[in-house]
Amino acid sequence: MLAHILRRILSVAFTFIVVSIIIFLMMHSVPGGPFDANDMPVSEAVRARMMAQWGLDQPLHVQYLNYMWGVLHLDFGVPFQSPGETVVQLISRAWVPSLILGGSGVLIGAPLGILLGMAAALNRNSWIDYVASTVATLGLTIPVFVTSMLLILIFAVWLNWLPASGWPQPNRWILPIACYAAIPLATYARYTRSAVLDTLNRPFVTVLRAKGLSERRIIFQHVMRNSAIPLVTVFLPMFIGTATGSIFVEAMFRVPGLGAYFVSSIEVRDYTLQMALMLLITFMYCLAYLLSDIAYALLNPRIRVGGAE
Amino acid sequence: MNAFVRLAGIMVTATALSAPVLAQTTVVAPSGNTAGTYMDYMKTVYDRGTGSELLQIPIATFNKEFELTPMAAESWTQSEDGLTWTFKLRSGLVWSDGEPLTAEDFVFALQHAATSGYDFAWYWDFAGGIKGWKEVTESTADVSTLGLKAVDDLTIEVTTVAPKPYLPSVTSLWYPVPKHKVDELGDDWSLDVSTIVSSGPFEIESWEKSNNSVVLTKSDTYTGPWSPLIDRLELDPTLNAPEVGLPAFLAGDADYSFLNTGQVPVATQRYPDGIRKNAVFATSYISYDLDAEPFNDVNVRRAFYYAVDRDELTSTVLKDIAIPAGSILPPGYPGYNPDIAAEAVFDPEKAKQFLADAGFPNGEGFPDVEIWYREEGGYNGAIIPAMAQYLQAEFKEVLGITLNIRSLPGPEWMDGLRGKKNNIFIAPYEYDYLDPSNFYGIFYNGGRHGYFIPEFDEIVAKADSDSDWDTRYQLYADAEQLMIDQGLIVPLVHPVTIAVVSDQLTGDGVSPNSLGFTQLDRLGHYFFTHITKQ
Repeated sequence: MLAHILRRILSVAFTFIVVSIIIFLMMHSVPGGPFDANDMPVSEAVRARMMAQWGLDQPLHVQYLNYMWGVLHLDFGVPFQSPGETVVQLISRAWVPSLILGGSGVLIGAPLGILLGMAAALNRNSWIDYVASTVATLGLTIPVFVTSMLLILIFAVWLNWLPASGWPQPNRWILPIACYAAIPLATYARYTRSAVLDTLNRPFVTVLRAKGLSERRIIFQHVMRNSAIPLVTVFLPMFIGTATGSIFVEAMFRVPGLGAYFVSSIEVRDYTLQMALMLLITFMYCLAYLLSDIAYALLNPRIRVGGAE
Repeated sequence: MNAFVRLAGIMVTATALSAPVLAQTTVVAPSGNTAGTYMDYMKTVYDRGTGSELLQIPIATFNKEFELTPMAAESWTQSEDGLTWTFKLRSGLVWSDGEPLTAEDFVFALQHAATSGYDFAWYWDFAGGIKGWKEVTESTADVSTLGLKAVDDLTIEVTTVAPKPYLPSVTSLWYPVPKHKVDELGDDWSLDVSTIVSSGPFEIESWEKSNNSVVLTKSDTYTGPWSPLIDRLELDPTLNAPEVGLPAFLAGDADYSFLNTGQVPVATQRYPDGIRKNAVFATSYISYDLDAEPFNDVNVRRAFYYAVDRDELTSTVLKDIAIPAGSILPPGYPGYNPDIAAEAVFDPEKAKQFLADAGFPNGEGFPDVEIWYREEGGYNGAIIPAMAQYLQAEFKEVLGITLNIRSLPGPEWMDGLRGKKNNIFIAPYEYDYLDPSNFYGIFYNGGRHGYFIPEFDEIVAKADSDSDWDTRYQLYADAEQLMIDQGLIVPLVHPVTIAVVSDQLTGDGVSPNSLGFTQLDRLGHYFFTHITKQ
């Protein structure tokens, strides 16, 4: 297991380097630069001075090596769009709201989804199953900006119970968290339902029933554990996807989070921030899959991490 | 009894102390979206911190009737040869940290802008015409050679390369920079709320950089004209999108909101007295690479000019958000000439004839072309994509040609326009100062289109430097006639923004001007100092 983890860490480093080269090349191959004119031309001398100031006048490979040398020392540079702070400071600042809202959304939505999915599986083809399937389908198909709008309309405009948007008062968190929770809730409801049904149909459940175990014990001790693997596969990547912010949810609810920076860093050719965000996401996904692998082994002793089942 | 008196005294004191807090009025308003790097308009315009212009006092600005009003300057005079302007500043102006605001701060602002990569530097060349500006920004001359001088603490002298009769209106974008702060902290002075100092009607209380929203407060030290009638102002760019702004307005979180076309009927029905139209003074037009086929033929360009039904465009797909444009100048803008604008008619037969004269009868043999437009938010984001599709259908129907559409990020689009990387564009332009030279200047001497029409340049140069308004008016009309005859552009529409305003918001700022327009966001100094909240 330890050797496997070490191998995975090495593969993370390799992935990291490959991704960084691809992103760096893609970033610089997009036409336009960070100091190109928006509306009227800037003088070439001015542009050249700005490029030199940020080290963008050097050959690409030198720029890349300089950047990666900094990354090795956890120095991701200074974002062009916020020169008063480092990239690390910017991300630490802007990630907080995204983490609070997106993280809470997953942490609330996932258990609710599991409950809903279990209820559906254990009451297959009943009204509970139909309601759960409808909720899950709606949650997955309605875009978040529509969900956001509906929540604002109902709870802020019609009922006047909550503020429509804004930050940082906690009563302003409720609607975006509800919005974020819809996706994990729907996803988990569907995954749990099919995983539980799948497990219920397996021969060992029949054996357990034949042994006379109570239905509750069968479900919670055996079925749930065996159904957990697909859920584990989904959880961490979903958590990362949501907790790094959504441009739509953050825009609709006026949350000063990280989501908008994913778009703005590309729009304004903020190379340092673009690289950092992409590397952050890469790192987190690598970490998520590594942790998922470990969790598999803990959940099912028959799975040997790095070996055959 | 004594206890009662004491209690009453305490209550009166407490009430008196808490009164200013209770009476505080806060206005929450949408704001234009910029990246929010520096809180200094003279460092960056396109990436400035929200409200940076409200923090400083310009030399002059416009009121809601678009009349130039002295602000930091109390008067100005032009020398006999027309080349030198002298601005006299008001006495008693100070920075919010108590330092006196002097002519040196204004001169320093432009000297610094010319040498520090200011993204609006072009303005002071083509609009300001300041002597030596081009050379200094191109690093071929020393900053000391600029035609700027602080004669004494209250006197600024500006020398221009040619007479600029409209220079005072150009100074509406001339804000001071605190030299004492730059000496101490460099450009970083405008990065942090704790080091930002202001000279204008507002001071900064907080700045959320993630979405570039700010909270400003009424300045205690400001002695210039137009002191705010409100205590606090929250400016939030995330409210600028009507899809976010209107729900927040309806929930009572914002004091006004801009509206998209779908929202206008609903808001009008619910708040009939709260609807306001804002003059943007902007024009969307078709621009070409004049050297590239097929638009190197004037007949093709003229065919496009007559193939657009602007009335249909603005009464259907752009209902309520744009009016037809017959001229590069919007109605109400100085120099607007209705006779010139009236030439831009929809005449399909004429359009077909011009196209046939170019060798493409009924569009036969005309190559497929791709029109490039710039991705953006705000009013242009609402107008341009829909307009591009309309033009696509219109040109197919009237001229029988295929027009493909491509949207590009701002810098890429600009690079395409300037670098002639495509042959046809939809180009939007919004005024920077109120003088016709502003709009004609974008075509002057290469401007932002990268082509040179010597005859046009000659007329515009004459018009720009003549001190007689009637002569200038005629010369600009001649310049525009030349643009029409040569088919340089196809004026399409002038955007109009519509907003809904809370009935709690009152004052001159929210009442329409004589043309029926309000200025909810463009004339910030006027608007935000002329509103009250009940």
